[in-house]
Amino acid sequence: MTAEPKVIDPLDVERAEEARLRTAAGLSPIGRAGGEYAGFESVGLPDRPPQTEREREVYTLAEGEMLVNMGPQHPSTHGVMRLVLKVRGEVVIDIDPVLGYLHRGIEKLCENATYTTVMTYVDPMDYLSSMHNEHAPAIAFEKLYGVQAPKRAEYIRALVVELNRVFSHGLMMGFLSLDMGGLTPILYGFINRDEVVDMLSAISGQRMLFNFFRVGGVNFDANDEFFSRLGTWRSGVLKTIDMNERILTDNEIFRGRTIGMGVLSGKDAISLGVSGPNLRASGVAFDVRKAHPYSIYPELEFEVITQSGGDVYSRYIQRIAELKQSIHLIDQIVDRMPHGPVQAQVPGIIRPKPGRAYAAVESPRGLYSVYAISDGGPNPYRFRMRDPSFISLQAIPKLMPGHLIADTMAVMASFDPVMGGVDK
Amino acid sequence: MDLLLAVGRFLLATTLLLLLTIPTAFVVIQMELKVIAQMQLRYGPNRIGPWGMFQSTIHGFKFLAKEDHMPDQADRATFTLAPWMVYMAAAMSMLVIPFAPGAIAADFNIGIVYFFAVIGLSVVGLLVAGWASYNKYSLLGGLRSAAQMVSYEIPLTLSVVGVVVLGGTLNFRELIGWQQAHGWMVLWQPIGLGIFYIASLAEINRTPFDMVEADSELVAGPFTEYSGMRFGFFFFAEYVALFIMSGIMVALFFGGWLAPWPFPAQLDGFGGTLYGLLWFFLKSYLCVFLAVWLRATLPRVRVDQLMGMAWKVLLPLAIVNLLVTAAAVLVFKL
Repeated sequence: MTAEPKVIDPLDVERAEEARLRTAAGLSPIGRAGGEYAGFESVGLPDRPPQTEREREVYTLAEGEMLVNMGPQHPSTHGVMRLVLKVRGEVVIDIDPVLGYLHRGIEKLCENATYTTVMTYVDPMDYLSSMHNEHAPAIAFEKLYGVQAPKRAEYIRALVVELNRVFSHGLMMGFLSLDMGGLTPILYGFINRDEVVDMLSAISGQRMLFNFFRVGGVNFDANDEFFSRLGTWRSGVLKTIDMNERILTDNEIFRGRTIGMGVLSGKDAISLGVSGPNLRASGVAFDVRKAHPYSIYPELEFEVITQSGGDVYSRYIQRIAELKQSIHLIDQIVDRMPHGPVQAQVPGIIRPKPGRAYAAVESPRGLYSVYAISDGGPNPYRFRMRDPSFISLQAIPKLMPGHLIADTMAVMASFDPVMGGVDK
Repeated sequence: MDLLLAVGRFLLATTLLLLLTIPTAFVVIQMELKVIAQMQLRYGPNRIGPWGMFQSTIHGFKFLAKEDHMPDQADRATFTLAPWMVYMAAAMSMLVIPFAPGAIAADFNIGIVYFFAVIGLSVVGLLVAGWASYNKYSLLGGLRSAAQMVSYEIPLTLSVVGVVVLGGTLNFRELIGWQQAHGWMVLWQPIGLGIFYIASLAEINRTPFDMVEADSELVAGPFTEYSGMRFGFFFFAEYVALFIMSGIMVALFFGGWLAPWPFPAQLDGFGGTLYGLLWFFLKSYLCVFLAVWLRATLPRVRVDQLMGMAWKVLLPLAIVNLLVTAAAVLVFKL
């Protein structure tokens, strides 16, 4: 007769270890009820005293209020965002967005990479607009090094970023609908996106993280497969967009949920720093392509589109209008594309003179910019990126109080944040 | 002897109906998978069986193989009971569905009252599930389901009262007999049908009124903490309820087992039953198709708009409809 060896519950070991670490760090022990972790009331509460006034305000519950923790694993937080909602019944009283779950230290990685390899690191930031992510550092590094991309390279750049904008805005329509429970538009959006990324993979070799831009040009010249796919796509795209739009734009339920919802005034949008389609939907005619022209945009004909509403519906309509405008721009670019080389002469390892450069582009989510400082070495001394989704997200806690939980998702989707860019 | 016969008949009917819920759920789920796939320009399930026919069957058996997890702080008794309450509400309401002449499990004189009493029980199950799960999403979902289903039961029932007043009976078989003589009820009660259809979608939590699950807001509502066969029962109940609501709509408004043209007089007995079954299932699955179509098309209504619609639009409309019907019956001696 041998005694049964006692099996230790690994969970207990973990809890004991956690308690030991917490005591060592001077934190209060985790509250337990009935031998388990903290109960209903305290889920979502940070287990430390509030650090700021704002934190005290959010995490102090009045009678009848409760905290609902949405994310980081939640179907409609656009990646790994966490929202702590303070609700009274279904009505949202306050929102505390908690960021950083997708932080990969991209800025620091870029500071340790050579100027050429930076392009590979910025791709997965805002993963729905990889081309724009590469465009801004490419312009900034060209300014630093003092090299000019050839004309054809500039045209190809403009072409691929506009294509990127098309599929990004197309997906936004789908995600907005998905967050309101409409399943179909996202599928149509992805069909459109697939056609575009197939096209971009024909020119760059990759479907999602293109790694296409180079300092002083682009990696490959446009080839026959690219243009053939572009032609096929162009012949049907307006019809596809119309099909996608018909299911939403005039839908009574969709309009009832979006018109007048989450109104951001132009003044507030400017003071928050919101940019791009979200700003223009609030009636402010600011487009980096017009205000601070870069690449070949001065040569192209287009207007800055604005809406007056500033609500979710305006932001949606703004996206569709810009999508059609992008197709118009693509037509012009293809029409005027010159012949010639696509890459300027640059050495393998670029060592710019000490200095600093700033470049901003209009990404599908707004003003995306790069500020790079060179100390004369082979890698940037400082590499700073301004991501528009991060700024747009600040508007959500401002807009939501007084609305319902369901509207939180709709308003968030209307700002079209991409957490890869927010957390960098 | 009579009692024994009655008990035997009862046992046979209930067993058959309980067994019938399983293929019904499979067929409706399969239909939803395939139809939505076609509408979203994709293939849908196409691996298991010819044209992926057995995908939903595999889904069903998959539930049996999954781990049955219960949150530590859940209320064990009610957590276990909730799926059964929802499932039994759906299965029990099947008792009075008039499938075909001679194929009604319980053909009694207050069939319509029984049906609306029993189908309303599922709200208790959902509320209990939401409360017992010890999860805030579940709680919100459970409360939403209580608010939504209780509100929509009123226009739902009122829209049927018009039918009952016109038909002069609470028995499904007699109501179908009335429709055979006077034409389908949809011709007499079109507004009643509209109210019934909207309210029945809300009653069984279908898109665009699927506030209870609301996957983009509440993760899965009251079902969030459920897994394995417990979730399977909720899942089954939902799709069985969709079929039942379609069947009841067919029985109340579209002539039940009647063919669109006059029923052949010589088809009595077993042949008549089969012919009736054919038409009943055809019409019911057409209604199921309609619900699936809506799911592929519409976004979700917001919770306050949903309640506003029940109380401000559907309820007054249903009352006016009922008053007009009652007045017409009195005046024209229908």
